[in-house]
Amino acid sequence: MMDPSILINYVYPNELAEPVLWLPVMFAYAFLISGADLLMLASIGFITGKIKRAIPLLTLLGMSFFSVILLGPLADLRQPQRAGLILTNLHIFPSDKYPGVSTISLYGGVLWITTFIVGLLFMLLYFSYPMYIKASRNGTLRPLYNLLSFGIRSEDTYQKLSPLLKVIAGVLFIFATLWGLYPSILLTSQTWLFIWRNWPILPVIYFADTFVTSTAAAILVYFLWKFDKMDKEYVNPLLKIHFTGCLAVAGLLILQVSIWGWWLGGSDFYSSFNIVIPLVIAVIFLMIISAIISTFSLRWSQLSILVSIVALIGVLINKWNIMINGQLVSRTGLGVLELTLPHGWFLNMISPISLAVVIFILITWLFPLEVE
Amino acid sequence: MSISRRKFLGTMGAATLVVASATLTKEAEAQLETKRYAMYIDVSKCYGCMACVAACASETNVPLGVFRTWVEKITLEGGTLVFIPKICNHCEHPSCVDVCPVNATYKREDGLVLIDDELCIGCGACINACPYGARYHNPVKGIADKCTFCEHRLDKGLLPACVEACPTTARVFGNLYDDESTISKLVDEYPTQVLKPETGNEPMVFYRDLPKEGSR
Repeated sequence: MMDPSILINYVYPNELAEPVLWLPVMFAYAFLISGADLLMLASIGFITGKIKRAIPLLTLLGMSFFSVILLGPLADLRQPQRAGLILTNLHIFPSDKYPGVSTISLYGGVLWITTFIVGLLFMLLYFSYPMYIKASRNGTLRPLYNLLSFGIRSEDTYQKLSPLLKVIAGVLFIFATLWGLYPSILLTSQTWLFIWRNWPILPVIYFADTFVTSTAAAILVYFLWKFDKMDKEYVNPLLKIHFTGCLAVAGLLILQVSIWGWWLGGSDFYSSFNIVIPLVIAVIFLMIISAIISTFSLRWSQLSILVSIVALIGVLINKWNIMINGQLVSRTGLGVLELTLPHGWFLNMISPISLAVVIFILITWLFPLEVE
Repeated sequence: MSISRRKFLGTMGAATLVVASATLTKEAEAQLETKRYAMYIDVSKCYGCMACVAACASETNVPLGVFRTWVEKITLEGGTLVFIPKICNHCEHPSCVDVCPVNATYKREDGLVLIDDELCIGCGACINACPYGARYHNPVKGIADKCTFCEHRLDKGLLPACVEACPTTARVFGNLYDDESTISKLVDEYPTQVLKPETGNEPMVFYRDLPKEGSR
């Protein structure tokens, strides 16, 4: 037991008992939110018509990841059997007894369901006519495909649906963007951990990161799907968005490191940032490398797998750095805690992601990955 | 129309009960509205005996390794040792209550910030939201836990265990809204400091002679 009479290196005794409260599951949770990133990109693609061919992949991958999003934090709860209270005991109306509004409650209890319903509606309507075409080609599952066509049996009717789909895509874009920003809003506004509180542009970084994550994930899946038959018309628009996203993330991270130096440079507090700065620099380099490779990939599509892998490594390091290393600086701003990972942390982290992949495989068996 | 004696007495008794309970509830409400529990800690009186830490652990069954109250030892420039007792600040604007997703943690009318053990899901949001490190995961109960200002003792008219155990009266507890209370007089009379005022939490633990190094 720690001697409470000694404030070891400016660390509170209760922090020493459990240095990292939101374990790697929180990191997996943040990564899973890329489901919202993919839906955001799909909705922009539909509204602007810029990445038309990638919309089916983005939508299906996005919905797969988004549907399991709440499993991430569930594994972090000490009383998981009470998790349903997040849906029934919402803390979104402030009162004298319960002041404030809980971001977790707002997102977990309200915005997840809303976004999921809007996303599902977009997905079903988007695939309605393609499902009719699929029904006409398949014998055994024809009734199911017909059901999923929702009575849209001609291209004209499908075209008439377009304005409604654009409205739904617009709503989906707003909700998915809010989801993409969720961890950064939670960390910077509803915690008092030193690193998170002093990371003012974290929401902007998260916003830029949504484009990197979603394009990298889509390019990776497209590569695995087509392998040596990659179509430039399909992948190049994604690469262009990816390039911009990577440079934006790198630029914003450089800006943040400069802000820390300007604010606290030379003070005792600045040394606390040493726990995150090395990995921030690593991420900056990875983003720049990914951006450079993406320019070559516009010509040689096979290189895009490197774009994706380098970017995803950067995204994972960035989120680990923010989530896990961000918890290792004491609330005093002067103490540093030691990272101890519990037994089975990796399985806890990987299991919800695996489930998302399984759901993706299942729904791609049902819905087409390419829509003419 | 005739009413039997028994029925008449029964009706009158019930009416009296209703009126009495309504009056009592109003009195209780009025009493709560005039209460704001707070603590005053005179740093110059604390010599780090840890009697408060031991009393708290024994009174509230605090598991090993975590603390509802603790005493920090700071060495000032020049070598002077200072002991700073710390505890949940039962803030006026408690950031821990804001973030609870299931309304498990709440602020009572008398200012106590408490946790409903039956509702807490153990998400840790309140622990990360507390700027003072006053909350922890109770490994036995599997929920968030913290100082309650010994609410079970207050209900019996007793002082919190840490206050009662302090041999130098470094800790003073009472109703801040009562002008005649010792704490009210001390807070009025002496300049006091609170921990991390920049958070906007408005702590209700007031320190006297708190060194700058100890306010982190």
